[in-house]
Amino acid sequence: MRFVVRRLSMFLFTLWAAMTLNFFIPRLMPGNPLQALEARTRGKVSPTALESILSSFGYKPNAGLVPQYFTYLKDMATGQWGQSIGLSLGEPVRQIVLQAVPWTLGLIGLTTIIAFLLGNVVGIVAGWRRGGALDSWLPSTLVITANLPYYWVGMLLILLFSTSLNWLPADFNYDPSLVPGLSPGFVGSVVQHAVLPSFTLLVTSVGGWILTMRNNMITTVAEDYVRMARAKGLADRKIMFGYAARNAMLPNISGFAMSLGFVLSGSVLVEYVYNYPGLGYQLLNAVDNNDYPLMQVLFMLYTIAVLVSLLAADFFMVWLDPRAREKG
Amino acid sequence: MRRTKLLAAGAAIGLAVTVAGCSSTQHVGSGSGGSNASGNTVPALSANLKTGGTVTIANESGATWNCQFNPLTTNQQEAAGFIYESLLYINPLQDTSTPTPLLATSYAWNSSDTQLTFDVRSGVKWSDGTAFSAQDVAYTFNLLKANSSLDTFALWSAPSSGGAGLTSVSASGDKVTMDFSANASVFFYDVANMVPIVPEHIWKSVGNPTNYTDTKPVGTGPFTVGSCTANNIKYTANPTYWMPNEPHVQTVNYPAYLSNDPANNDLASGKANWGGQYIPNINSFYLAKSSNFHIWSPPVSNVSLIPNMQQGPTANLNVRQAIAYALDRAQIAAIGEQGEETAANQTGVVTPTFSAYLNSSALAASGYSSQNLTKATAALKDAGYSTSHPLSLTIKTVTGYTDWDADLQVVKQELAGIGINVTVLDEADNTFTSDLQNGNFQAIMYGPPGGPTPYYELHLMLDSTNSQAIGSAAQGDYGRYKNAAVDQLFGDYASATSQSAQEDAIKQIETYMINDVPLIPVVQAVDWFQYSTADLQGWPSASNPYAQPAPWNYPDLEMVLLHLYSTSAQ
Repeated sequence: MRFVVRRLSMFLFTLWAAMTLNFFIPRLMPGNPLQALEARTRGKVSPTALESILSSFGYKPNAGLVPQYFTYLKDMATGQWGQSIGLSLGEPVRQIVLQAVPWTLGLIGLTTIIAFLLGNVVGIVAGWRRGGALDSWLPSTLVITANLPYYWVGMLLILLFSTSLNWLPADFNYDPSLVPGLSPGFVGSVVQHAVLPSFTLLVTSVGGWILTMRNNMITTVAEDYVRMARAKGLADRKIMFGYAARNAMLPNISGFAMSLGFVLSGSVLVEYVYNYPGLGYQLLNAVDNNDYPLMQVLFMLYTIAVLVSLLAADFFMVWLDPRAREKG
Repeated sequence: MRRTKLLAAGAAIGLAVTVAGCSSTQHVGSGSGGSNASGNTVPALSANLKTGGTVTIANESGATWNCQFNPLTTNQQEAAGFIYESLLYINPLQDTSTPTPLLATSYAWNSSDTQLTFDVRSGVKWSDGTAFSAQDVAYTFNLLKANSSLDTFALWSAPSSGGAGLTSVSASGDKVTMDFSANASVFFYDVANMVPIVPEHIWKSVGNPTNYTDTKPVGTGPFTVGSCTANNIKYTANPTYWMPNEPHVQTVNYPAYLSNDPANNDLASGKANWGGQYIPNINSFYLAKSSNFHIWSPPVSNVSLIPNMQQGPTANLNVRQAIAYALDRAQIAAIGEQGEETAANQTGVVTPTFSAYLNSSALAASGYSSQNLTKATAALKDAGYSTSHPLSLTIKTVTGYTDWDADLQVVKQELAGIGINVTVLDEADNTFTSDLQNGNFQAIMYGPPGGPTPYYELHLMLDSTNSQAIGSAAQGDYGRYKNAAVDQLFGDYASATSQSAQEDAIKQIETYMINDVPLIPVVQAVDWFQYSTADLQGWPSASNPYAQPAPWNYPDLEMVLLHLYSTSAQ
């Protein structure tokens, strides 16, 4: 119980600290929403009019930072997220977030899960058959693919599969001429549009899972209890999954929890390259245009997602591993 | 009085008629809007064309659509020209003195250009079936008065603070009369061309018009919103549009491209047929893909190096002259812009668009019409620098404008030859705008917006009434150029009542551009325009420049949409 209280209070403290930084750091950036708006309207529009437009959407350039900070804390806690003062001027922040979340969760979330599962299975097999056919070329290849910049992989895939072969679409989350709905055509279009960005992420992220899993497997396979299982004459498959992999996966699980936490912040560059309107893209727009209301909500959501996943991983590990419980 | 005009029927939209040939200038009594001779006749149209076809626009919007269509604040790009219309259309690429009649059929200035009268078209219906009237026009302008945030062209601000000085707008019958406190002819473009007219019967009950989302817009324009998602706006032809047999094209798709590359890809694959942004290697990337793909990008303003006139090395006239002499602008355009933009000249007048205003004799006499390394070296020597004692100069630019980066690499090489070591500093948008406005630079690369005549760009960049002390944000004259004679010439232009007097004023300003070098124009910014004739015909072109062609130009896009027709539907 003491453990739970301590973890929870640490969680709240970290959340407050991060949210305070989320408030002040964007406001220290050069420029302000008014200048960003002037640049976007190509200097054609009178700055006085622009300033009163921004004020009507809640921008208060002249209010002091400290009172603004307390209003901000209150607004974040009560869900009064306000309206965008950047590229989506006047659109409620809640609406922007709700529109983008499903696409990011769908694309990045599913890809993260697939990468984790695939990476673990391949890693288990490769580590089990150490020095085998798979193990001889896989690690060296993966060291390279895991370190490729994913926007570069994305551009190569677009060049190959969209521009040259014309097999797959390279932009949007679905064909813009379709009206969203549960029609087979629309669902098919969503899947088709997800293939390339998802594959881009998979190529670059699966390597890390495979490598760590393989290395964990190799260490675990040398453990006494695995030797014991062999001595008992158990089937190979049973030892591989039931004895070795089960323990080798433990460190990967907390890594997985963390990467789930990062799903929400999306993959800014992948979304940018594929014109995929998710949360990562919204963040880029918000930062480019000094869109404080949108930025602070996005940063808050990312912070909460990461902190909650870490907390969950902590509790999960304690539940899985009695040694951690005693130390805690 | 000679500027009193009556717009003739058939003035502009026709595919077959030329604008100037069919318009007539009549002289009518002072202050009168003229007879209603043209009445409600509409511009001559291509009556034989059948309807059909789809336009797909590929133009980076940067964000997903919010499906709001308030044309008075933030959604002009999606609303003006498609759904809402202005009183007249004024084409900056052609003689601006003969506008195309839209919601107004004619206009007249009084002799001192302080009172403007419009004859408003009758027989026009809003897309919900309600009749449009002069009351709607007066309502719209008075709405701008009541809500300063909507007055985006400062029409109701006093002339002393840079506004048009509008004092009243009233409707009577089918006439709308606007009174100004001073000569307001330079604001005619904004009043007649840039203000979209909204329906009083809807807008009077929308609450705060600045925050009005207008998700179901009701306008007089050729299109209505068929459906809208975050990814795409689908406009469909307005069946009750007032121009008979228009629009020919029945659907316009406007997908939301978050960046240039996907938009360019869709243009190259033929998925989209109307583009409006820079495409690198355009010959192999786009033009070579199909014989139906074409480009025409008319120059509309300058991209200039702005020297800091108050402090640093560029405050020295000799240094500015040396830079202006040393640049081979044709080479910069050929290498940096890959020939997609053309070389600028030191007068600051964009050619050929505004050639009527060009003071060509002064330019020829100045020696700035081509690169002159001898004069450049001499001028730099007078400033105390040479190749053995070089000057270090930092030029700021915006990150992401890759063509400007390429331009500056050429500039850097050319200036190194005479003894100026250039450091190029790429800044993020926000920092760049802040530095530009605050005068925090030695020299900075910038492309100001143009206008229907060279006055608008030069006035923004040179009139010291726009300026502020270094460190305070200025809304123009970023280089802090101060010359009372030049300010006076801008005043002369604004109060001129004839075009020749306006041309004279601009030509004199050009001599100051040459003598003082307060700006160093490098290349001419263009309206990026790519189009496909696979199905659609009627696009604007060099031989028929009936509108600014880029799809982000409102209200010009309405003219393009009205001219387009599908060949397969015929």
